[in-house]
Amino acid sequence: MPNAKGIRVSRRDFNKLAASTAAVGPFFLFSGRAGATQKTLKIAKWSHFVPQFDPWFENIAREWGQQHDTQVTVENIPVEKISAVASAEVKAGKGHDVFIFPWPPAQYYQHAVDHTEIYQRVAGKYGAIPQIAYRSTYNVKNKQHFAFADFWAPSPLHFRQDYWAKVGMPLGPGHYGSLYGGGKRLRDEFHIPCGLAFTPTLEGNITLHTMLYAFRAWILTGNDEVVFNRNVFAGVALKYLQQLYRETGTPDQLSWQPGGSVQAMLAGKTSCAINAISLLRAAEEQDAEAASKIWIQPPLLGRSGMGVTALPHITNCSLVWSFGQNQDEAKQFVADLIDSSRTGYAASLGFNFPTYAKTVPDLIVHLGKDPQANPHDKYLLLKDALHWTPNLGVPGFATPAFMEVFNSFLIPKMVQRVLKGQSSPEDAAAAAAAEIQRIADKWQQVN
Amino acid sequence: MKTIRERTSMVVFAVMAMMGVAFLAAPNLANSQTTTAVSGAASFNPPPCDYKDQFYMDNGLDPTQVVGRFGSARLTGPPATGNQVNWVADSTCSQRDPDRRNFRILAITGGFPDDQSGSPTEFITILGFVTNQNLIPSGINAFETTYSRNVGAINGGLDGDQQNPGETISIVNSANPRSITMQNLVSNFEAYPAPKQRLANGQIALNPCQADMVSPLAPAQPCFDLSTVNAVFTPALRQDWRFATNRNAIDGSDNNCISNNPAVCTPPNGTGSAPPQSDSPFGYFCDDLLGMWINSFFWYTVDPADHTSPLGKTCTPILKKLGQQNGLTPDGTPIVKTGDELDNILEANGCAAEGQLAFDGSDGGAIWLVCPAIPDPRAGAISADAFLDQAHNSNGTVQNIGLLENFLSLQIFGVFFTQLESSQQSQITAQAVKQQ
Repeated sequence: MPNAKGIRVSRRDFNKLAASTAAVGPFFLFSGRAGATQKTLKIAKWSHFVPQFDPWFENIAREWGQQHDTQVTVENIPVEKISAVASAEVKAGKGHDVFIFPWPPAQYYQHAVDHTEIYQRVAGKYGAIPQIAYRSTYNVKNKQHFAFADFWAPSPLHFRQDYWAKVGMPLGPGHYGSLYGGGKRLRDEFHIPCGLAFTPTLEGNITLHTMLYAFRAWILTGNDEVVFNRNVFAGVALKYLQQLYRETGTPDQLSWQPGGSVQAMLAGKTSCAINAISLLRAAEEQDAEAASKIWIQPPLLGRSGMGVTALPHITNCSLVWSFGQNQDEAKQFVADLIDSSRTGYAASLGFNFPTYAKTVPDLIVHLGKDPQANPHDKYLLLKDALHWTPNLGVPGFATPAFMEVFNSFLIPKMVQRVLKGQSSPEDAAAAAAAEIQRIADKWQQVN
Repeated sequence: MKTIRERTSMVVFAVMAMMGVAFLAAPNLANSQTTTAVSGAASFNPPPCDYKDQFYMDNGLDPTQVVGRFGSARLTGPPATGNQVNWVADSTCSQRDPDRRNFRILAITGGFPDDQSGSPTEFITILGFVTNQNLIPSGINAFETTYSRNVGAINGGLDGDQQNPGETISIVNSANPRSITMQNLVSNFEAYPAPKQRLANGQIALNPCQADMVSPLAPAQPCFDLSTVNAVFTPALRQDWRFATNRNAIDGSDNNCISNNPAVCTPPNGTGSAPPQSDSPFGYFCDDLLGMWINSFFWYTVDPADHTSPLGKTCTPILKKLGQQNGLTPDGTPIVKTGDELDNILEANGCAAEGQLAFDGSDGGAIWLVCPAIPDPRAGAISADAFLDQAHNSNGTVQNIGLLENFLSLQIFGVFFTQLESSQQSQITAQAVKQQ
């Protein structure tokens, strides 16, 4: 945004901001001046996992409001409530002007303005739409963009280096066979379970979709044709998960609430997790010594030619509702927000990877000289993250059908049935495939 | 890579023709002691040699942890047979390339590139094996955890005015200055060995003996063993290798998305079912300087004689069709030449599986290979005394005569077989038939 561009946010500023806004609560009102005719802009956004980010965002929004004579409100919504709030707004036909999702809101494309215009505005400054944004926000049916994606968060493997060194893998497991083999030894000999999230939470969803994709158990094709369980890959992946859970896991994996796998790792109770770097950032805040023992590495090597791959933990997508009362202001805000990517990256402590590389041109320098990290170049392993991060919906786009599968937690629920012994891998895969087919058919009938 | 090679081959061939290079007649390979068969200007590519210890260390690998290292071990024996040696002392190695030590490799292993072509055009040298990430309890790491060496420092010259602090090659916390661990880098480059599955008693084993590799698609017993490096020696393989040398090819030949233009990187109308990108942050020839690979073993999960079980019924027509297309291994299973055949035809239907050995060495065997592909096998890279290491049929004949034809063509004429004149092709084919 015009005057927000170039704002630098230090950790001291974060703390000041956090302290000054802590008493206000999750709902913020910013206005340049009071007046009955003043324009308004209501923003809903997911509560960021790095606590310092939200005060920064509110500050940015306030400044934007002052410059555009607009009364801006920001509501931070816990991730687990995002879908419910968005659905309620669609049902009511009213709500916020800008709704910022942590994943592609493809299901709401009929209620979104065409965001192509925003991408075009941004193209003048930062270039053509990047692949991850394009494939996360483009609807191939109506050939419109249902949202604008400005950042994403990679999902590296976090592992306790000191634990894995005990079983001869000081550099981590590397591939799914070693995750099982080393994880089994860690639990058998040292009573430390592997801590991948398997619950219907965001981290469970990302972990399990990542693992299925790495086993080539794709959900849908680019045409929304159901391929799940049309080959053996789903069954093989589920059997692997069953074995992994039985021989390396903990019952807690089936009951963790949002953030449960993160808390378990922070407490030193588990040996690994697939998560955004907010896990490591939290460790750095809470216990520097423990943080120094948590290492990250690129995702595990997949099977059947899938290579090293992990889905994004977050795909930050701003959506302007078509029923919104202030669409012009909303589009302007979203387009301007990209100018703040650089300070947003800093405010998020490196969590927000820009979709437009030009907005944070020195990303690799930051990754290599992180003041909080021990060692300071610990995060440099993420410099190639875009190479191993496809979009949600891969091998296709983030379609409404795929995102309904994602948001209904169909995959974690399927895995839970297998791990709890309620269903065989074959039956669970077949039932999930039938449900995916129903969802795909439903969306096929929608214009 | 193939595209580049073929394009370049045309240029080289044209230059050679213009210069009137007289191609040598096929030498008696068995008795040849010369290092170069291709003469004159066409012989500008050096034959492969082992790396110096320094080069191993500079690139993150402890050379003392390389098992069966050519130049120090395995002078004879697989892949060589009889009196044939796998390597020879050669003082020109370090002259041609200061990163090489003076042991020239004669054993050239052939295979398929990972570009879906199935072309027998890859040639590599298996210098040694890495069997363990970390040796407990000694704590010796095959992949170095710390290392530092200063290069290029100048102190003096021009009456002491010339000073240069040099550059430091360092490994800290197992990561190089780009913060890449060798283990992570190598995981981007998969080599595909195909262990023989038919046991001495004639039974087909449908899974490896390593518990963490067992596919749920087939019984765990009987099993074939991968616990020693011998499991990747050619006599133990049912077919030739496949290597992903083309990962992240700069020409986009691996279908990686190298353009920021969605129209380039996306299937038409977004309707394609293939992944949009087969991307890797690394290029084999520019990042993996030791030419290392992680072994992704692949095997059949169904007995080719099984036509009655549910899996047998599914796989019988698939195996039959693939066998007719590619031929059969000594196991009686089809030869697999491409990733598509393995992933989308065999594995997708449960007829095959793949896996890697445990990084802690608990499975035994060759987890990783130090096995550099020859970047350009033309124009002298295949010396006259080199021999081809390739899979054979049960009757002793070579399994892929195209691989042998390419090898001989490169050895004698310095170009791939397809670049030869028809008379030369006839000469090579005759030689291959005679030699196989």
